[in-house]
Amino acid sequence: MDRPFEVQRRHDLEWVPAVMRVGLGEQDLEEIERSWRGGRQILRNALRAANVPRDKWPQSLHWNWEHKSSDLQLLETHACGIRIEGRWEAVVMTKVASYTARLAEQQGKPLVYVDYLEVAPWNWRIHELAQQGEYRGLGSVLFREAVQLSKDEQFHGRVGLHALAQAESFYRDVCGMTDLGPDGAKQNLRYFEFLPSQADSYLKDGGES
Amino acid sequence: MADKRTMTLNLTDAEMAALEQLCERKELTKTALIRQALRLYQAIDVRLAAGERLVFEDLRGKKKSEVMVL
Repeated sequence: MDRPFEVQRRHDLEWVPAVMRVGLGEQDLEEIERSWRGGRQILRNALRAANVPRDKWPQSLHWNWEHKSSDLQLLETHACGIRIEGRWEAVVMTKVASYTARLAEQQGKPLVYVDYLEVAPWNWRIHELAQQGEYRGLGSVLFREAVQLSKDEQFHGRVGLHALAQAESFYRDVCGMTDLGPDGAKQNLRYFEFLPSQADSYLKDGGES
Repeated sequence: MADKRTMTLNLTDAEMAALEQLCERKELTKTALIRQALRLYQAIDVRLAAGERLVFEDLRGKKKSEVMVL
């Protein structure tokens, strides 16, 4: 199912038509990875050529959506993605049953867990390569989808996720999630969570980066 | 959205009481809770079939016990 909306192109700030496609299947994720593989390699080559230290490389560079596609066989797993001019620009995978809320006020209640969220390699902002990314706000749009899914599932906007270090400030400062600190069970990634009230504020404020 | 089909679910008094208690704790309708239970059962079943074990860990006593799922 496709839902039209608009995104802003960075270089000229023009608003261009985009499509949110929900209910992605395994073939969609495989197609996404095929279309992004070249971009990942181009960036690897550029990062090496620029002698960028490994710890400054984009932390999702090694991701592979083909490897994640079989998770869509589970009822609890959802994925949706953004297409612009026939090209996949961003994708998010969520789970709705395996995780429950950890914040004291909501402990044990169901939430939408954002398992993976990524924008296409050409949309990454990489300071070391002076790459600004083609489109603005794609991550925010997908995060908003996760919050809305939580509302649709009667979870009242509860969302949880473990953030890559490079994304921590986005979830904490832009989205306004509560930082529950590093999780030893998830490679010490910091765990973030939304209370229903925080989700309501986020949706009300437009949820844009 | 995918088409949905309706079914009737017969529960004992104890099962209905457990369902209602869970609904209150989880702030879910009965339908939403049953759907969650199905999703969770499937997710667990897939991993068991792949050779994994489901384990509960008591963080206070640091004890672990395996959960049997049929």
